[in-house]
Amino acid sequence: MNDECRMATRLYLSNDTSARAAGAASLAEAWVDRPEIQLIRTSSRGAFYLEPMVERDSADGRVAWFNVTPDDLPRILSGKNGTPVPSIPFLARQTRVTFANFGETEPLALGEYQARGGLKGLEQALNMSPEVIIEELKRSRLRGRGGAAFPVWNKWQVAQQTEADEKYVVANADEGDAGTYCDRMILEGDPFRLLEGMLICARAIGAGRGYVYCRHEYPAAAATLWEAIHKADEAELLELDGEPFPIEVVQGAGSYVCGEETALLESLAGGRGVVRAKPPYPAQEGLYGKPTIVSNVLTFATIPTILSRGGAWYASLGTERSSGTMALQLGGRVKQPGLVEVPFGLSLRQVLDQFGGGMAPGARFKAVQVGGPLGSLFPASKLDIPICYDAFAQAGAVLGHGGIVVYDHETDMVDLARHFMAFTANESCGKCTPCRIGSVRGREILERIQAGSGTVDDLVLLGDLGETMKVASLCALGGRAPYPVLTAIEHFPAEFRSRLRT
Amino acid sequence: MTVPNILKALLSLQEREGAVTPAAIGGIAHQLGTTTAQVAGVLSYYPDLHCASPGRHVIRLCMGESCYANGCTRLLRSLQDRLRVDVGETTGGGKFTLGTMSCAGNCAVSPTVIIDRDLWGRVLPSQLGALLERYK
Ligand code: SF4
Ligand code: FES
Repeated sequence: MNDECRMATRLYLSNDTSARAAGAASLAEAWVDRPEIQLIRTSSRGAFYLEPMVERDSADGRVAWFNVTPDDLPRILSGKNGTPVPSIPFLARQTRVTFANFGETEPLALGEYQARGGLKGLEQALNMSPEVIIEELKRSRLRGRGGAAFPVWNKWQVAQQTEADEKYVVANADEGDAGTYCDRMILEGDPFRLLEGMLICARAIGAGRGYVYCRHEYPAAAATLWEAIHKADEAELLELDGEPFPIEVVQGAGSYVCGEETALLESLAGGRGVVRAKPPYPAQEGLYGKPTIVSNVLTFATIPTILSRGGAWYASLGTERSSGTMALQLGGRVKQPGLVEVPFGLSLRQVLDQFGGGMAPGARFKAVQVGGPLGSLFPASKLDIPICYDAFAQAGAVLGHGGIVVYDHETDMVDLARHFMAFTANESCGKCTPCRIGSVRGREILERIQAGSGTVDDLVLLGDLGETMKVASLCALGGRAPYPVLTAIEHFPAEFRSRLRT
Repeated sequence: MTVPNILKALLSLQEREGAVTPAAIGGIAHQLGTTTAQVAGVLSYYPDLHCASPGRHVIRLCMGESCYANGCTRLLRSLQDRLRVDVGETTGGGKFTLGTMSCAGNCAVSPTVIIDRDLWGRVLPSQLGALLERYK
């Protein structure tokens, strides 16, 4: 290192896809040759409304500058007008467990990961019997974060107790719900955490091989993950009880339904990603017919902390039946879109007010949708619902993957409903009739209403069709598809009626 | 593994050649020891696999919920008008192919437009002209 480098000021800038899209890429380009700075490319804190955000060290921790342009460099180097990171309310109000490293570390620096408590969970797991690991998970009451919210320990126990010559661990990185991005952030920002969670699972169920099924839409995530796997391999981490535990990244090809576990396994094996009926459950008969744990990235990423800090500690967060924290992803017309990790139990209104910061300039609230394109719509009068699995189930809604999208007064609800049905019609795998045919008919009816030639009978038909799809579809795509449409009609009936032919 | 991974073979072929032409199906089937019907079935199932070579630049507009709330339908209309093509089509000179996608995971910085390998966020219709200009 020459003198010049030693004098350089260390600045931290996120290398996350969204931070880059917000301007971090052009900052890095503009500053790459400046000898007076040394750019450290970190993960993102998830306060995307502030990105690009540039930080530097100070005696009291990191100090940040927001929405930075290349011209801000002198100001940053002078150290003036920076905001101490811990005093940013959007971050200070969160409880970061799974996302604790975000914004702090370089994603591929294994040493940093370890220095911040990484690999402790795996270490614990290696000293426990499979039964004890599963006990610890049971104590945490962790439920799968992907959508079905099934108790994780239960699934692991089934796989552990099923006799087989080979078992697999599969991370579902096919985060297909629009409006969600926490998996992408983990893959790009803290990949060792995912690998650690997968290794713990492998150790608990006795698996010999792991796969990460990553959607085609996340090229940066797949590349980072491959690098992380190579680094972990070099550090001799990818082994269990003296046996190698290879992990491979496999790419999807743009099909939404491949996020459903049975379809995912078909696609992983290289065929058409079509859903199959359960049982048998993948924990008994999964990839190539062998016991397989399929969990989503967020679930695996939560596990290391549960093992290192204990299941009881994790269960002390959140509510009785929704323990721990949830990663919520704010998007749409809020003033402060970004990633929020909080214990379960806050109301939707609190989340929108405290973190969303209200509406984007010029926008008035109309509705919010939680849980992706199959999630129910909530009007302003329903915002007091607590963020937890049971309250959502009772309201006929899903928390899904935690995506929260806010729509403003300019949203045309008829068009939005058509948009959802068209999505289902596009993505239906075709295995069952209610979804394959129902979604196409549903889209046609909505197109009719949109064109002004629909009748009251069409609305009734849409209701019937929706009820049939709900009860008779084989998987969540068809089963959930009516919810956004029917809640749009329920909460904004005038908009639909005014478009009908009289 | 004994099971032939058709998807993997098709994706890597497409990566090399830009598309999976119908003529290539037989070769892949032979290579993997499976039938052309199996290969064609996988090819037709996945939206990201295609038979026709795309234009020199591929534009994909995210139509996911956050992008929808932030005006992607206006962006799409504007792109269609500018390029005079519909979704799935390639412009006359073979320069741009227009496509949509359901979410790029960039929802907090939406609406999102992806051109080739570049991802652009917070895109306004008024910026589209300058954006397209960058691609020769
Ligand atoms: S509900 Fe739709 S996606 Fe699911 S199995 Fe049936 S056809 Fe396939
Ligand atoms: S909805 Fe467009 S990037 Fe997620």
